[in-house]
Amino acid sequence: MARAREVPGFDCEEPFAVVAARVIEVRSAEVFAHADGVLDVDEVERLHDMRVATRRLRAALEVFDSCFPRKRHRSALKRVKALADALGERRDRDVAIGFLVGLEAETPEADRAGLAALTERLRGEQREANEALAPHVARKRLRKLRRRLRKLVKAAKK
Amino acid sequence: MKARRVEGLDPAAPLRADAARIVRTRLDELRAFAPVALQAPASKTQHDMRIAAKRLRYVLEIVGPCFGPEADAARDAARRLQSVLGEIHDCDLMLPRAWGIESLRVRLRERRERLFGEFVDLWRDSAPTWAALGRSLDRHTFSLLRGESRGD
Repeated sequence: MARAREVPGFDCEEPFAVVAARVIEVRSAEVFAHADGVLDVDEVERLHDMRVATRRLRAALEVFDSCFPRKRHRSALKRVKALADALGERRDRDVAIGFLVGLEAETPEADRAGLAALTERLRGEQREANEALAPHVARKRLRKLRRRLRKLVKAAKK
Repeated sequence: MKARRVEGLDPAAPLRADAARIVRTRLDELRAFAPVALQAPASKTQHDMRIAAKRLRYVLEIVGPCFGPEADAARDAARRLQSVLGEIHDCDLMLPRAWGIESLRVRLRERRERLFGEFVDLWRDSAPTWAALGRSLDRHTFSLLRGESRGD
């Protein structure tokens, strides 16, 4: 899992809203930096990194909510939550499949068919989760989200 | 689970002042779940506590530098709690789906039991960490009230 980037110029004595702008700027950039290849189910760590970055951004938006214009903040948070939820649905299946695959070798013969069927069901859910995620990580949608977040940062700086 | 609202935050106030109120609220929220979550079958409360640990962890990732090494230790403890409670939740979700796969059900029950034991130990061992964080918050809040700069 990627570590959170440091926020340049972070200062505990600065006004809450000034720090809010700095933090959201950095956390947003982290989300977009991890967007490549997240739909690839053979490289599940990519999705995990973007999910963690999205959770960090969501947390920052919640921590600093009092620093932003209410309507604009609500609208940005709603979109970040939707992205986080879509990433989470895929991640849950990635983890469950990884767990079951790890058990295959030591599963008694009598249970192998059942385990294989359950794994296959989860792979189907993983595909569905990926399809639901695709529009959220489309370049155009991410560009719009980035613009929205930039406006939010600008508003906090005022 | 909805997060408790933190009242009275002031965008113009120094970060440290508002951050102390937020961390205090998230810490109290986490601790409030413990009495029920420490009972093995309380899966719903354990899940809520995981979310509370996650909220505390992420707020400390952001504002931790304002509260010294106590905040770093608390962030790491919250991350470990979030992780073990997350694995317990994974077992709870998988168990009903493993119907008819007896060896998997046995393994999931054993795994949950082991993880629950880890959670209990972790919670007990984290008590000094939460107390130290609480003291650090008090110290910085007191410094701010006295009008001291830089929270020394």
